[in-house]
Amino acid sequence: MKKPLLFALMLFSPLAHAQSITVFAAASLTDAFKEIGSAFQNKTGVEVTFQFAGSQVLRTQLEQGAKADVYASASDAQFDPLVKSGLVNGKQTFTRNQLVVIVPLKNPAGIRSLSDLAKPGVKVVVAQSSVPVGQYTRQVFENLSRTSKTSFSQKALKNVVSEETNVRQVALKVQFGEADAGVVYTTDLTPGVRAQVKTIPIAGKYNVVATYPMGTVKGGNPNAAGQFVKFVLSKEGQNILKKWGFLKVK
Amino acid sequence: MTRPSLPLVPLLMGVMLVVFLLLPTLVILLHGLSGGFFPALLQPVVLDALKVSLVTTTITLLLTVGLGTPIAYLLARYRFRGKILLDTLLDLPIVLPPVVAGVGLLLTFGRNGLLGPALTLAGISIAFSPAAVVLAQLFTSAPFFIRASKGGFLAIDRDIEAAARVDGASNGQVFRFITWPLAFPFLLEGMVLAWARALGEFGATILFAGSLQGRTQTITLSIYAALESDLKPALVLSAVMVVVAFTMLGVVRRITARRSRGES
Repeated sequence: MKKPLLFALMLFSPLAHAQSITVFAAASLTDAFKEIGSAFQNKTGVEVTFQFAGSQVLRTQLEQGAKADVYASASDAQFDPLVKSGLVNGKQTFTRNQLVVIVPLKNPAGIRSLSDLAKPGVKVVVAQSSVPVGQYTRQVFENLSRTSKTSFSQKALKNVVSEETNVRQVALKVQFGEADAGVVYTTDLTPGVRAQVKTIPIAGKYNVVATYPMGTVKGGNPNAAGQFVKFVLSKEGQNILKKWGFLKVK
Repeated sequence: MTRPSLPLVPLLMGVMLVVFLLLPTLVILLHGLSGGFFPALLQPVVLDALKVSLVTTTITLLLTVGLGTPIAYLLARYRFRGKILLDTLLDLPIVLPPVVAGVGLLLTFGRNGLLGPALTLAGISIAFSPAAVVLAQLFTSAPFFIRASKGGFLAIDRDIEAAARVDGASNGQVFRFITWPLAFPFLLEGMVLAWARALGEFGATILFAGSLQGRTQTITLSIYAALESDLKPALVLSAVMVVVAFTMLGVVRRITARRSRGES
């Protein structure tokens, strides 16, 4: 009789473990946070479980009552409403990110700069506009249009053949060589991706700086969650983020 | 004759499962149909998704029936080498996770896939096009039709066909006037199964066809995309799916019931 009961406990109760927290984090943080998670666990003994997805997905899930202890978003737009509604406490900007254009190694469309994305017939893949990176991408397009006084943004968006629901899907379609170009975070150029794509930097005057906020979720374990936030902000956490290409908070 | 009263324990267990199976569907209907159903239904995102789904699944269904009926007929009526193997292989897409189907399609028809260079040479680009949506649907749904229609052809009494032949009917006439009508309830069931599967296809489509409003974004993809920003269109589309699915099943039940009554 005892064993099934234990099994049921394990299934339904996260409290069955001594100390564990669940962190909802933007998909772009996947690699960096996995490493931070194991470093944190080594140091504190607190087990970290991650759920990585588009920030907007995680936001919806939290609003629908999903249980988590920490929420780390890729944009303020998907974070601030949760603070406002009292679901998330505190707000710490913990890192920054920038955008970059990637093309398949063979570069079938002969893309050499951001402005080439507006050339007719180029197959562009971006994230949909509800995803932070999708919003940033459109901002970059706008910046180029405004600075160069062209209809670049309009033409580039016309070239979009697919709107993905998270940034890793954009990278995937370029890796497969199905798309001629995609716009992703610089941090999406993980070693695995970097070997399979060519990178085309976006000049600073057009680029957007994405700031990442995080906070503890109401109803979670405040102690362990607070500890995790502190760890990400610590020198050790920041070094891991830097290693994966993230920028320091000014 | 009095009906035996229902045994209590199985009844309770059954009720539990029935409630579990029905409750989420009812909740979706309740949410989707409450306040603002029609305004939400008339949003461009919703209309585009409905249009894409309707067009692609119709083409898929035509291809499925046109190409699937002959193979089902051959499998049911003829003996040939490797038949059992072929039969098994044709069931494979039913068991494969849709994402795996998507990867397979990408590696076959994608630009860098097996047939990619040849297709590119011919000026055909499938990925991210409505054709990719159709291929994803065809791959995951055709086996359902083949299975059902094969069962239909097997179930027909061969003596009836033989009798028609004795009366001078040609092979074509036998198929047209005897085999096809008798197998039709099975074929119809297969069509509905395949169509429903095509309508619900997600994993292979999002990987192989991507998601672009008005072009490759089907109802399922649109629900997924909408869930991430605005819940209302997602709920409306979900409710539409439930209503459509229920109507289809109802129509099929009626047709098959009428046919079997008519025959006996």
